Amino acid sequence: MIQMFHVTKSYQGDPPVLVDINLDIGKAEFVFLTGPSGAGKSTLLKLMFLAERTTRGQVLIAGRNIARIRESGVPYLRRNLGVVFQDFKLLPTRTVAENVGFTLDVVGTPREEVRERALKMLRRVGLEHKADVSPLKLSGGEQQRVSLARALVNDPAILLADEPTGNLDPALTVEIMDLLADVNARGTTVVVATHDASLIARYQKRTLRLEKGTMVADEKGSRAALLMALDQ
Amino acid sequence: MSTQAKSAYFVRTALGSMWRSPFVHVIAIATLALALVSFGIARITSGQVDALMNALGGDVEFTVYLSPDAPEDKRDELAKALAARTGGEAKLVTPEQALERLRLQLGTEGAALANVGENPLPFSIEIALPKSERDPASLKALAEKTKALSFVSDVDYGEDALERLNLIARALRLGALVAFIIVFLTAVIIVSATLQLAIFSRREEIEIQKLVGGTDIFVRMPFLIEGLLQGILAGGFALLSMYALVRIVESDRGSAVAFLRLQGHVIVDWPRLALEQFSIGISLGLIGSFIAVRRFLKV
Repeated sequence: MIQMFHVTKSYQGDPPVLVDINLDIGKAEFVFLTGPSGAGKSTLLKLMFLAERTTRGQVLIAGRNIARIRESGVPYLRRNLGVVFQDFKLLPTRTVAENVGFTLDVVGTPREEVRERALKMLRRVGLEHKADVSPLKLSGGEQQRVSLARALVNDPAILLADEPTGNLDPALTVEIMDLLADVNARGTTVVVATHDASLIARYQKRTLRLEKGTMVADEKGSRAALLMALDQ
Repeated sequence: MSTQAKSAYFVRTALGSMWRSPFVHVIAIATLALALVSFGIARITSGQVDALMNALGGDVEFTVYLSPDAPEDKRDELAKALAARTGGEAKLVTPEQALERLRLQLGTEGAALANVGENPLPFSIEIALPKSERDPASLKALAEKTKALSFVSDVDYGEDALERLNLIARALRLGALVAFIIVFLTAVIIVSATLQLAIFSRREEIEIQKLVGGTDIFVRMPFLIEGLLQGILAGGFALLSMYALVRIVESDRGSAVAFLRLQGHVIVDWPRLALEQFSIGISLGLIGSFIAVRRFLKV
């Protein structure tokens, strides 16, 4: 589903952020992307949803080389991806349901259908009763569930999450991770960038480890968690 | 994908944004309106100068003096030919009629004319020119052609005064044009900066729209609709302000600018001015929005 071949990313005047990255993430796979701060996790995710372009190398999403996509084609790629951020990126001037419906608005979905599908997705993340309130009135965990609902409402093939539990306490972290696991169980490819070793230990998924922009490990479950725990 | 749903979304978003943050939109509309009023005042002033020129042109006396050897039939023929050529009315004035007029103009001093032996005044043709022939360039051309005719000794139409008046009018028009260009450029910069301020507060919304797959045109449309509405509202306010200003100038309170009144009132082509105000207002709003939103689209 996601493939990278010899990908390098650098900014003028700075050392490379990513160096010769090769990876292959299959359909419906759940993958943790881990490593210390500044290792290049977020940049790697940004290359996947084209917020950044590679300096060298190829990125294939569902078999399509996205390095060749023009700027005008980027929105159409993003409609097949869901992205969740650490800071939620919710609009305080819109209701919870409107925030979730944002993804459907951009593709011209009729208003009634937007509302209907947003409510359905909010039900799935357990927040239907909060549909008409401002996100500002929600807890951090609830805000991240809204953000997740927005990412999933368009039924994307891939879900990318950049430190989705970074701002949450342990109980809420588990809540969000269970939702991501549920999404994955329904057939969505999920990539989660995190530096939380406990998550990797708990969920026992494939883990790609980055250090100083280089892929240093591609481990499965407990071994990855053990290595990470030793590092910390 | 539904165009209708998208259009409804654009309008809803634009109106919602104006409703949610009225302050920045009021500032943008006020800035636009101010620019439009400045333009309108320049336009009205320029119109007044034109009207003044036309009004003064109406007082132009185009007189053709004939040589003493012009035979009677030639004098009549010339008068008819000039009337036909200019489309105006030509009147032949005899030396006796001219002397009588002079006597009346001199008043009590006119008695002195009794001592003049032979009447020195020539036959002349006075022409009342139509409006289209009253501008300085047409008058000059007509004078030159007429002077070249047989039996014409001289032509007089107050050339010097008219030339000076024309120079003043040209200077006023040029001043109005320069003022308009300065005001317009300043308006574009201020409007764009104001709209950028308004859009800056919504940069997060733009970022999210782009992240969930919104195209540039999708992101831009609500802002363009806002620009359009701001232009229309600013055009309306500017027109109302100018109407009030014109009324003040025409009233007693406007005595300081009484020179702007012609025939007792300020001459304004309101339908044309309204068309210009709305067109420029909408253009400024659209261009300002287009420029302002551009820098936030790179996500």
